[in-house]
Amino acid sequence: MKKLCSIAILTVIMALSVIIALASDSHNQVKLNIAPGGMVNIVNNSGSVTLHPGSQQQVTVNATTHSDKVEVDSNSIPDGKRVEIRTHVLAQQKLSNDELKVDYDITVPAGVSVTVSTATAPITIENLNANLSLSSDMGKITVKNAANAHIHVRSVAAPVALTNVTASYVEITSSSGAVQLEDVFGPKVTAGTTGGDITYRGDCSGGGVYSLTTHSGTIDVTLPQNASVDLTARSVTGSVENDFPFQQKSHPTFVPSPGRSLVGTSNSGSSSVELQSFSGRIRVKKQ
Amino acid sequence: MNCQQFQEVLPYIIESGGNADQEDHLRSCEACAALVQDLRYIAEQAKLLLPMHDPNPRVWSNIEQSLQREGLLQEGRMSRQGQTTKYPTIAKQTKSGTVLGWLLAMAAVAALAAILVNYHPRPVQPQVTTADNAVGKTPFDADDQKILSQVSQQQPDLSSAYENSLRQVNSYIADAKKAVDENPDDSAIQEHLQDAYQQKAVLYEMATVRSLE
Repeated sequence: MKKLCSIAILTVIMALSVIIALASDSHNQVKLNIAPGGMVNIVNNSGSVTLHPGSQQQVTVNATTHSDKVEVDSNSIPDGKRVEIRTHVLAQQKLSNDELKVDYDITVPAGVSVTVSTATAPITIENLNANLSLSSDMGKITVKNAANAHIHVRSVAAPVALTNVTASYVEITSSSGAVQLEDVFGPKVTAGTTGGDITYRGDCSGGGVYSLTTHSGTIDVTLPQNASVDLTARSVTGSVENDFPFQQKSHPTFVPSPGRSLVGTSNSGSSSVELQSFSGRIRVKKQ
Repeated sequence: MNCQQFQEVLPYIIESGGNADQEDHLRSCEACAALVQDLRYIAEQAKLLLPMHDPNPRVWSNIEQSLQREGLLQEGRMSRQGQTTKYPTIAKQTKSGTVLGWLLAMAAVAALAAILVNYHPRPVQPQVTTADNAVGKTPFDADDQKILSQVSQQQPDLSSAYENSLRQVNSYIADAKKAVDENPDDSAIQEHLQDAYQQKAVLYEMATVRSLE
């Protein structure tokens, strides 16, 4: 009986805490018209940014602030070609991380260009066919289900994950954040890191050019048996390991050195895959 | 030596100190130095919680009698000659020694819990090992220091991420330059040098944006 009372009291206290926390949140919604091919610029250092596709030719901004010391500035220029959404700090004094947070849930129509810049807020974009320019210092960048897009990603230490991105131009620059690419295909896919690891899983299809480069991170590429690639892997001082049954190329541009470089072709070699590391390990595996 | 390697051997060297490599790492790595300092503090505080002297012999005899009453220990004590000497069982036990022991134990647990609750380990930044382990030693030039200073003024939470990334990219540039000097005709190595500078340019651009906010 005593135990039940204690549990009940604890539950009530926890519920009250949640209610008090939610009471200080402020939810706002703004709808802004945007012209076809227009640009949406989002700046939010802390909190989160999530983008979805919308059916109407307008940008719907749902913002949740956790403090009255920040506000959301959102506006569009008269011709609708540009929409700005920015978190604005009102207070002069330094705010805590919780006070700075703003959570955005934004819908945009297809065919617009989106630029998102955050410091620690994660960026999540799903099912959006739009040109994307994403940069974050430490917030995870996730893009899922995109097609026919130009996607530029820049990260300092933010992990980057792209999944099911097709027929797109992808360019990723990350200093120490890890880069994960799964089923990412395009005319051109480029990822470069300094210390971050790069992982690619897919068949590099589409006759595109795939280039993965790192200084000291690892590069792990997993290809299915039916991948049609012309692959080159080189490391200056690191190692190259291969478990994939490549055929030898008849006229390689350089003489491969076992354990340090690899040249091979699979099936008709329609896509070009270039893996380069300075001191990191490169590994090519069969799915 | 990187942080992971250092922390693997830390339990063995915390009291006695490490070898030259380990000492070097401790001097150069703030995160590991803070961790060692915190662990030494906890160890010292834990010693202070319990008295260093043996308890009163009456405490031991009370414990022995309790064990005998519960049948966990045969009555009497084995002498050196192997004879068992029987002692009378005392029906009522003075419990002050046992109570004292429990109080001390509870105080020790409470103090340790308080220390652990207030213990906030600093996140360990991943150390990048390059071919010549030069990451920790690659110095920042005047421009690097300026940009880092601006970032740390505007966004102190991000300064360690920028510092770590700048160290890595400077190491990349140093490694690539050295490799180009040794192999001036190797186009792949030249591409690495271009890539390294491009990485640094992106880092500077992001740091500039951050420091202007």
